[in-house]
Amino acid sequence: MADTVQPKKTPSDFLGAIIGHPVLVKLNSGIIYKGVLACLDGYMNIALEQTEEYANGQLKNKYGDAFIRGNNVLYISAAE
Amino acid sequence: MADTVTAPITSVEEPLDLVRLCLDEHIYVKLRGDREVRGRLHAFDQHLNLVLGDVEETITTVELDPETKEESVHTTNRKMDMLFVRGDGVILGLIPSILYTAPLPKKLDNHAINLFRPPRERYETPILFDLSKD
Repeated sequence: MADTVQPKKTPSDFLGAIIGHPVLVKLNSGIIYKGVLACLDGYMNIALEQTEEYANGQLKNKYGDAFIRGNNVLYISAAE
Repeated sequence: MADTVTAPITSVEEPLDLVRLCLDEHIYVKLRGDREVRGRLHAFDQHLNLVLGDVEETITTVELDPETKEESVHTTNRKMDMLFVRGDGVILGLIPSILYTAPLPKKLDNHAINLFRPPRERYETPILFDLSKD
């Protein structure tokens, strides 16, 4: 009754909503990048700020800004 | 009064803008096949094809000793004056400089921007290799 009609939601809406938020990006290789999502494009190329690189659950590196080529991306998850 | 920064601050609106900011900078690129290269970024295109100068490539290999079954990690370095990297090999790219531990330029103060922002004309650098044509 009180439910409003849900506007059409797409994956892009989700991606647009998490820009500027902390995210977790997993690559096909299993490496995980955590950082603040600066922006992304249609190829799922990603620019991350305050990036942390995790391999096998261990912190391997910290980068300021990092560019990730989209074809390597397995998923993007909103962290926290 | 004239502002100290006359050109509008170029914000990073899409990921390739970040790569554009790296033009003429010494960058670190992680490639498929456990390879990484460091060099000066001369040119790039939308595929992430890269032209790098003064390059050092590091290849990491893991060798398994057949007797002790122990894995040992080896790295091999080689240097090249100029290198073309095909875009599909690229995983990650960044500037390993201390300036880039700061947030993206839109949030930096003017001094820091002028330190690491390439001169304006570099934005107009023509793309040397455009494989999308023909």
